Amino acid sequence: MGHSDSSDGARRPLSADRRALLRLGAAGVSTVVTIRPALAQTAASVLTCEIPVPDPARAGDFIAADGSLVPTDTPGAFRPSARPFTGEEVKAALTGRSLPGVDHQRSRAYTNYIRRLQQGTSGFTCYASLQMPRA
Amino acid sequence: MRHVFSVRVGPAGFRVGSDWRAPVAALEALYAGYPKAGIADFTVRLEAARPWRRWIRPSVTIAGDYMLPDAVPLALRHGLLAAEMGMNLQMALGARRWLLLHAASLERDGRALILTGASGSGKSTLAALLGDRGWRLMGDEFALIDLANGVLHPFPRPVSLKNAAIALFDAARLGPLLAATPKGDIRHLRPNADAIARMAEPAAPALILFPRFGHAAAERPVAPSEVFVRLTQASTNYVALGEAGFDALTRLVTTLPARAIDYPDADSAVALVERLWAAA
Amino acid sequence: MRWALGARTALKRVPLDMLTACFDRRSGMTHLLAAPAPELLAALAAGPADIALLLARMGIADADAEERAGLEAHLAALEAAGLVVRA
Repeated sequence: MGHSDSSDGARRPLSADRRALLRLGAAGVSTVVTIRPALAQTAASVLTCEIPVPDPARAGDFIAADGSLVPTDTPGAFRPSARPFTGEEVKAALTGRSLPGVDHQRSRAYTNYIRRLQQGTSGFTCYASLQMPRA
Repeated sequence: MRHVFSVRVGPAGFRVGSDWRAPVAALEALYAGYPKAGIADFTVRLEAARPWRRWIRPSVTIAGDYMLPDAVPLALRHGLLAAEMGMNLQMALGARRWLLLHAASLERDGRALILTGASGSGKSTLAALLGDRGWRLMGDEFALIDLANGVLHPFPRPVSLKNAAIALFDAARLGPLLAATPKGDIRHLRPNADAIARMAEPAAPALILFPRFGHAAAERPVAPSEVFVRLTQASTNYVALGEAGFDALTRLVTTLPARAIDYPDADSAVALVERLWAAA
Repeated sequence: MRWALGARTALKRVPLDMLTACFDRRSGMTHLLAAPAPELLAALAAGPADIALLLARMGIADADAEERAGLEAHLAALEAAGLVVRA
């Protein structure tokens, strides 16, 4: 393959392959797959499981734009969601749509919060089970 | 619970409580010679779904720390199957001391073979056959991987044989026929005396095989990345274990050879296994 | 539009053959990374960057529109997995 910079080409002989890998992204080929809990394969319905925003144990906090939890009434932060979101709603939001009933900025803050969920936090198993398509 | 059954299988103790005597009697016969539980790590309850269901068209609800929503109760005549399914469920969802894989495991000369694959791939029948041909059966349903050092712990429960596979074994080692269950005809095969006597002896895994029944004999290597993905799909507790599960599984796939084998019948399967084991 | 590694992301990586197994201690989740994900994460380790700067860090000159769109798509997938964020 031609190289626009011959010295780069000598140091990186696979530059053409790397560009091909980038183009594959445009074709929808995934570069990351997340392992899903096996339990989700036996549960009655993954998509009806729920994720509260935030965890009820932190119900007094607000949600910042980056998804972290901040004290109530912090400027620029959003109040907690009135109701938990279902797995199906969160799955749609992770691909770019807004969570139902909230504007785009609030939805972005909520989904950032959800992406930060850790084991032990309410909703983690539901969120983790959304990550991998059914085998 | 009016009736109680207690048993230790490998490193795990089970306690099964039942509203009826019959499933407990069947368990006592099937597990004759197994040690008692001592401490119960896992508890199963066989309950009547409604009070009158203890006597009228009796049906068994499987209960315990973990329960599946919408599970259909089984008829009392299939109570032994309900108990086995209950033990599987509590183990699958509750075990935290080992990485659990849906796999059979067998030991020879202190090293262990892991046979893993989807239900219906024939691994239980193959494991039972190998258990009678010079291998010690460590388990057919779950392989228990030690989180600290990667050894396999035996878990030799009775092997659940379905339909045609039942005829391959001596009736003296089989539990009662459970006819027309939701999974077809089932009989449980007791592991032989050696497997039961040595249920506390772990073994280091040496080879992973992915067997597939019903195809012309063939085999191919399986790369570690593919083994990793397939074993996460075959594990019921991988995600729940967090970093310990990740470490155990990456250790397993980076240190062990793995091959996929296809086989048309039992004899060619055993021959393939022996050849690959000798080369491992 | 700038991208950055997820805050407090502590990734444990085990390279396998075609894939890198990756454990995120922050979330407790396991991800399998295929090329070019490991390289993208390494390019972001130096700090937040937009597409142009990322391509420069990766030593890719004169990327066309399709390559840039592909890079965006890969970054979006890494964002969905919780490994990168928009900065």
